[in-house]
Amino acid sequence: MQKIVEVKNVEKIYGKADEKQYKALSDVNFEVQPGEFVGIMGASGSGKTTLLNILSTLDTATSGSVKIAGQDITKLNTNEMADFRANQIGFIFQDFNLLENLTAYENVALPLALQNVSPKKIKPAVTAITEKLGLTDILNHYPTELSGGQKQRVAAARALVHEPKIVFGDEPTGALDSKSARALMDTMTKINHEDNVSILLVTHDPFSASYCDRILFIKDGEIGQELRKDDNTRGEFYQEILDSLGTFAE
Amino acid sequence: MLNKLALSGIRHRMRDYTVLFSGLMIASAIFYMFLSLATNKTFLSSNSPAAATAFIFGFGIILLSIITIVYINYANTFLLSMRQKEYGMFMMLGAKSSKISKMIFVETFAIGAISTLIGSAIGIVATKYVSQWMINALDMQIKHFNSFYLPALMWTFIFFIVLFIFSAIRNSISLRRTKVLTLLHKDSQPSKIKRNGAVKFIQAIIGLIFLAIGYYSMFYMGKNAMFIYLGVPIALVTIVIGTYFTINAAITAVISMLKRNTKFSQKGLNNFTLSQLSFRIADYTKILSMVSIMFALALGAITVGLGFQKQISTVVNGQNYYDVAVHNADTAQKNRINHLSGDDQYNYSYKVDDKSKTVYYRASEFKKQPFYYESFNMKSMLATTKKSTNINNPDVSYSMQQNMLPKYRMNQLKAVSDAEYNKIQANSDTLTLVKTTSFKNNLSKIKTISKEEAKRYPDLKQAGGDKYSAYVMINGFFSGLEFMGFFLGIAFLAMLASCLMFKILSGASGDVKRYNMLHKIGTRQRTLRSTINKEIAVLFAVPAGLGIIHVLVGLQMFKGILFQPYSHIEVPFGIFIILYLGYYLLTRYLYKKIVLK
Ligand SMILES: Nc1ncnc2c1ncn2[C@@H]1O[C@H](COP(=O)(O)OP(=O)(O)O)[C@@H](O)[C@H]1O
Ligand SMILES: [Mg+2]
Repeated sequence: MQKIVEVKNVEKIYGKADEKQYKALSDVNFEVQPGEFVGIMGASGSGKTTLLNILSTLDTATSGSVKIAGQDITKLNTNEMADFRANQIGFIFQDFNLLENLTAYENVALPLALQNVSPKKIKPAVTAITEKLGLTDILNHYPTELSGGQKQRVAAARALVHEPKIVFGDEPTGALDSKSARALMDTMTKINHEDNVSILLVTHDPFSASYCDRILFIKDGEIGQELRKDDNTRGEFYQEILDSLGTFAE
Repeated sequence: MLNKLALSGIRHRMRDYTVLFSGLMIASAIFYMFLSLATNKTFLSSNSPAAATAFIFGFGIILLSIITIVYINYANTFLLSMRQKEYGMFMMLGAKSSKISKMIFVETFAIGAISTLIGSAIGIVATKYVSQWMINALDMQIKHFNSFYLPALMWTFIFFIVLFIFSAIRNSISLRRTKVLTLLHKDSQPSKIKRNGAVKFIQAIIGLIFLAIGYYSMFYMGKNAMFIYLGVPIALVTIVIGTYFTINAAITAVISMLKRNTKFSQKGLNNFTLSQLSFRIADYTKILSMVSIMFALALGAITVGLGFQKQISTVVNGQNYYDVAVHNADTAQKNRINHLSGDDQYNYSYKVDDKSKTVYYRASEFKKQPFYYESFNMKSMLATTKKSTNINNPDVSYSMQQNMLPKYRMNQLKAVSDAEYNKIQANSDTLTLVKTTSFKNNLSKIKTISKEEAKRYPDLKQAGGDKYSAYVMINGFFSGLEFMGFFLGIAFLAMLASCLMFKILSGASGDVKRYNMLHKIGTRQRTLRSTINKEIAVLFAVPAGLGIIHVLVGLQMFKGILFQPYSHIEVPFGIFIILYLGYYLLTRYLYKKIVLK
């Protein structure tokens, strides 16, 4: 089966040749299989956002190759990158990134409108995904009228509505209270299981990470240990994560 | 330390500060220019024969002051919008609010003072060139004009310093009053739109009714000049209110209609653009109405000003058919006449009988060379050219008298047969009349001939009568009006367009996040750019469109005074639209620089 994400020898150096240079990623290698729910864990400053930005074509790697759904994204030009983001991937950010001048419905519909999907098809798609995420009652609300948890579920609906190959999340629970965080992660897991959507999440929060099938630990720009949930319950996996964080941090 | 940080903040936004600085400099330069031209006694007394001009200029100063105050207000808001996040950060880190408000006070005042100083200097230089250009282009009769005029400079300083002290106080109070959190998150707080259909509908109706009343009163004024004292205030008030309601309600209605049309709104970023606009319109109603009114006033001023300019040749040509009248031409004058373009030259012999106070012409000469004259129709305000061989017709002899030497103008004219003419015991003189192909194109040559003629017959100097003397008088009168219209029009346009620019740019920092988000979810740069272009285009086009309609209707007012107020309006409209377009392009360029990476 074709891999969804294939990262080989990726290196990222910030700063131009004549400036002060900083190596944010060095020799990163990993893969994500279709339908997999993968977490990347690391402390703040370890290079998580940098990695995610490269995977989502918001930034380019200094060297190495990145393939998403079989396509080498390091070779795309700016327009192709934009189209790639619009068509192939979904995004959930820590700070929601909703447009406050659009209603929840309009926010969710935006990716489809951007792809020039016909208005007739937009409505059923938006209705379907928002029903699944329990947003039906708040579709006509503006983001300022919503709670953090609701906002993030709207953002998730927006990330999923165009049926992307993979959804990237950059600390999606980072700005949520624990109850909302739990609800969001439950929903993500449900979507992952039911619709077989691949999800790649970066986080520094062990609780969110415990929802993943597999966790990669990143430290100082390098991927170290890997942890699999396998047949463990979420509670057991959570404990396992905490344990390895202890050893990994040393 | 804090000062250093604040300065580095300025350095980071050099481009925006440059725009702010140049805007303020232009404002003070314009103010000085107008003041130095309008209050300068030498300019006024040597330029305008009409005492009314002083009043008109006074009125102009008031208008200019108002727009300047509004302008400084918007520029100041722009300054505050650039700074509040940074100052909010300082306060969050523990800087005392008294210290912060002192800093913003100093910053505002310093920016104002420096730009006023430089602006006035630019104003002095610009006045020199602009006045020179105006004097030449309009063939104005201005002697000794000094572009440095101390009272004007003093007033410019006082006016702007007072304005900036107020702005500085306002900024420091507003920073001191707002909570740190509000400052930090100012950008992400959208203004809520009120969704109240019924109220909006009533507003739209009221707006249109007010506009209709205003427009009708302008029509009415065009027919009844006496209505002006009541009509102008009525039109001003109703059109201002009408514009405000129309923009507030009608535009919102159009936007929601477009939003409801999913075929349109669900395409690309259209919905986003519409939402941006509908959020903006609520916040922009005031400035858009103001810009539209100002736009109309400015465009109207230029159109009417240029209308008077066109009037000059019409009126001058209506004064006398012939461009040159020379008596007993000597070789020098004959030479000059031959250098004029066109060879429509007519020579009439005449003899003066002092006793009977009669001037005799040869009837045969009029048979051969019919006499042309302008007959003025009071109703249509038009002069038509007629020709006649009968000098005894009172219209003809009246026109002929203009061309005669002043001392004979009260005499009777008589055309006689050649035999009779020869019998009259007096010197035979010749009157040479010339019609060139164009009075305007031959102006400088005609001027020389007229001046020489006045040297030869000194009483012509006072009495005039020839076309050139008529031209000097009429041109002097209309030039003052035209100058006012032109100068104020351009000044208004420059200021109001940059008011709109500052207003739009003040909101730009709040859009950074939105556009960045659109970029992240896969919007092409080109799509983002065209969205911005569209949005700003609408914000510029709405007031311009309404303003143009105001002017087109408003010109009705001048139907009585101006001959064909609508002819050649493409010239002022063209100048205006090009300048306005320039501001639009500058705004969207700067906006994109702020918003897009
Ligand atoms: N644009 C940049 N220029 C220079 N250094 C950067 C840039 N972005 C991130 N870094 C550095 O790279 C490292 C990794 O950052 P980041 O990927 O944001 O970490 P994380 O998301 O794991 O907290 C940090 O040390 C950060 O300072
Ligand atoms: Mg991060």
